[in-house]
Amino acid sequence: MVTSVLLGTTALLLYLGAEGFSIAHLRTEKPSLGIVAKILLTLGFVVHFGALEIGGRITHTVPYRDLSASMSLFAWMVAGSYGILRLRHREASAGPFLIPVAILFLAASLATHPAQATAPDPRLTGVLFAFHVTLAILGYAAFTLSFVLAQLYLIQIHQIHKRKLGLLFSRLPALDVLSRMHHTSIGIGVVAMSVASTLGLIWAKQNWGTYWDPKVAVTFLLIGVYVFCLLAGRLLRWSGKRVALLSFAGYFLLLFSYTIVNLFITQEHVFR
Amino acid sequence: MSNPNESPLLLVGWDFRQTPVELRERLAFSPEKIEAAVARLRQEGLLAEAVIVSTCNRSEVYGVRGPAAVEGDPLLALTRFVSEFHGLPHPEVEGAGYRHMGADAVRHLFRVSAGLESLALGEDQILGQVREAFRFASSAGLTRTVLNRLFQKAIEAGKRVRSETGLNSRPISIPGVAIELAQKIYEDLAPRRFLILGAGETSSIFFDLLVARGARNIEVVNRTLEKAELLCQRAGKAYPWEELPSRIHAADVVVSATSATEPVITREDVRKAVSRRRGQPLFFLDLGIPRNVDPRVADLDNAFLYAVDDLQEIAERNRQERQREVIPAMEILEEELQDFLAWFGSLAVVPTITALRRKFETIREAEFDRSLEKLSHLAPADREKIRLMAQSMVRSLLRRPTEALKEEADPTRRLERAEAAQYLFDLDLDSKE
Repeated sequence: MVTSVLLGTTALLLYLGAEGFSIAHLRTEKPSLGIVAKILLTLGFVVHFGALEIGGRITHTVPYRDLSASMSLFAWMVAGSYGILRLRHREASAGPFLIPVAILFLAASLATHPAQATAPDPRLTGVLFAFHVTLAILGYAAFTLSFVLAQLYLIQIHQIHKRKLGLLFSRLPALDVLSRMHHTSIGIGVVAMSVASTLGLIWAKQNWGTYWDPKVAVTFLLIGVYVFCLLAGRLLRWSGKRVALLSFAGYFLLLFSYTIVNLFITQEHVFR
Repeated sequence: MSNPNESPLLLVGWDFRQTPVELRERLAFSPEKIEAAVARLRQEGLLAEAVIVSTCNRSEVYGVRGPAAVEGDPLLALTRFVSEFHGLPHPEVEGAGYRHMGADAVRHLFRVSAGLESLALGEDQILGQVREAFRFASSAGLTRTVLNRLFQKAIEAGKRVRSETGLNSRPISIPGVAIELAQKIYEDLAPRRFLILGAGETSSIFFDLLVARGARNIEVVNRTLEKAELLCQRAGKAYPWEELPSRIHAADVVVSATSATEPVITREDVRKAVSRRRGQPLFFLDLGIPRNVDPRVADLDNAFLYAVDDLQEIAERNRQERQREVIPAMEILEEELQDFLAWFGSLAVVPTITALRRKFETIREAEFDRSLEKLSHLAPADREKIRLMAQSMVRSLLRRPTEALKEEADPTRRLERAEAAQYLFDLDLDSKE
């Protein structure tokens, strides 16, 4: 347990370092600072995995049983999704805005870390269930990144429209790059959430004897909103701005699902 | 370097600030003229090394003082040489330029290289021109230790200023600003579709700029089709004016520079075009005066409009931003200057004498050890006497060369003597042994 916290703290420090160097890179555009940020983020990701792995060994399952472990896994997925985006689009200037999400959730996870590991519920184990939870959290992480990217897109549009061409304007990626990154993150989220939901439905049928849970309906609505985001530009000729605003709506639905639905509506998707 | 009159580093120059363009044109050095001028400078002994930087905004001769320039005012002699070389009256040439020696000459070159002396503050082109001037001189054998180091340092300083300050981070020309804006909507402009309205001078400048940037899809619409076709001879495609409304939706960037007195692109045209573009933004650069594009286009979703006034305002703001970067840039240049001066100050004497002593001591020790093997019958006291004698011989042998290096007042001669010693004794100045 101590080692898990220690590794988690180390990962947090590495993420903080990556954030610091990312900001410095954004300000100065020195390539060396960007490389250091990338190395620190990668190290943080690896060390963070170590922390999750140790936590998982203790509870003999993917760390999702309590809020702290769930947030840590979420933070790790955010860092991983950002890594994929960075590799896919070779664009580092969104880093200072995306890494803080991982930092925030990992810090919250460490702050709420329980003294004793939560014992696994024997009903909620197995490969199917583990993949369901892991992919769902990956989906949440990717949607969170898409939320931040949508904000950056709108900021950049606002700057170009209003002729506010300061440092942020020159450092943020071009609109088409932000749009592509936004689409990629939504794409990752939709695929992860769809597979997670499918696995969850199979598992639910096997264990509960029914597919139904209010969370299922909200999740399918969520997937629908994001699929619409992916197609709206091409099929309905929506502008990037409208797609970004719709993705905002999707994210608020996600927050509703993660908080209100989990806390008050569903009987099954709760942290016990 | 402490006494400027002693410094062997010389600079005479004429630039856009002090010299009228008519005179600058006559003072320009073509590559052939550079070769001829430097050959004569060396022949006459005015300069031992030389680099001539000649651009449309400046002509500058950098050099290391030669033996004929030891007496009198070497800068005056150099100015006189340049005026004679170009067949111009000396008073006119002398009065229109600037002359520097030593640290001031070095500082000036560093400022030139950094773009601080350029007409467009911080522009990049000058760094390439300085590099090219140095490469030309170097390959022609016109540079040696001092100018090699000086120009390498100047190029390094120019690069540092550009990477460590925001001196050239934002464009200050209208086309530069326009391209930067377009690249904030579409990162890679090469595959994008451009529509140019008009075939006049402004359109032609943009056309060339886009072709230079690798743009492959350029369409030109003009009231006189022949003019559009003329512009599109190298690349692109010309369309008659009537096809304008149907061409807008296919473009990613529309550059408008016609002399029309009324807007030629209406809000309705753009609304229709945008709705056909499947969410892709459309960027308008309206360079016409009066405006060619209805200003209300800027209110449309997914359409971005910048007029020439906007671009001018941004260019001016960027110019002011660059101005703020001058002080940090100068701090970097001062660092590099001190670094160069420290190297230059110790260039000839100290390292050469140290290397000379080291070389002689190495030889003495090797010879002494070898001789002692053959004189094993000698008593230790006698061996010590021989060792002391050898040491004394080395000191005596080195006394005069050391004095000759130290005492020479003329820096050029001192440098030449140091180089001669380095060559004759095969000295390695970098060795730490």
